[in-house]
Amino acid sequence: MANKSVWSDNRFWQRSATWVTGFASILLIWLTFDTSAQIAMGNDEDLKNGVTKRVPGPTVINYKITYEMDAKRGHEVPVIGGKEKFFGRDDWSEEEARALLHLGKLGSQAKNCMDCHTLLGNGAYYAPDLTKAWLDPAWGPDGAMQALTGKNTKEEAMAEFLQHPDQFPTHARMMPDLGITAEEAKGLVAFLKHMSSIDTNGFPRNFGRMQGAINGK
Amino acid sequence: MFEPFTDVVPSFFGWLNQGPLTLTIFLHTVIVLPMIWIYFQEKKRLENEN
Repeated sequence: MANKSVWSDNRFWQRSATWVTGFASILLIWLTFDTSAQIAMGNDEDLKNGVTKRVPGPTVINYKITYEMDAKRGHEVPVIGGKEKFFGRDDWSEEEARALLHLGKLGSQAKNCMDCHTLLGNGAYYAPDLTKAWLDPAWGPDGAMQALTGKNTKEEAMAEFLQHPDQFPTHARMMPDLGITAEEAKGLVAFLKHMSSIDTNGFPRNFGRMQGAINGK
Repeated sequence: MFEPFTDVVPSFFGWLNQGPLTLTIFLHTVIVLPMIWIYFQEKKRLENEN
């Protein structure tokens, strides 16, 4: 009988496939636990003690968030600064903030924001990426949106816009009126503010290159 | 060639994601090297059977 080649031998391929599948399974289970630990939400104590979390606790809405270039990491990172009033208060309790974020999250799902916008990499690019929308200088004191909506703060301008988007035409595609109530709008703005504080490893890329978005205090 | 590790939290998966070379070396180590080892084992077995 002629020498049989290893390449045409079933056992070689079986053992190789078993090894690769088994090893990949272990790696993926490990990756799941590694990721869970990294994306676990922080709490109020972390924020008070300056503990940096990838996903800060809900009470981050009481703080000023800026977007600053991190030379070591090569992209912008959200930096949580001092206290800042959010709808006139900077003492939202963990329960209140969590309830507000929950309302905003449910609202974003009910109104299907992702049909047009992108949130944390999920959704569409028919309308602007909302991952870092809170940090968009257009909503800041030097931006156009506060004057357009007749409000003096970022959160009020955003909430006003969300309730009547068809009344504030911009140069971009017009957002339709989705029948968002005042309370829902408040929740949605809190949801956006919290989302902007999440360290997304610089996603979306080049957002910080927008005029004034880096170190835009 | 090797990028400095700059992720927020030090992690094996963060290291794996630093650049193309880390991933390539890792995959060759865990897939190709064991397959070479299995190849020679099976070759020896086939020779013994003959």
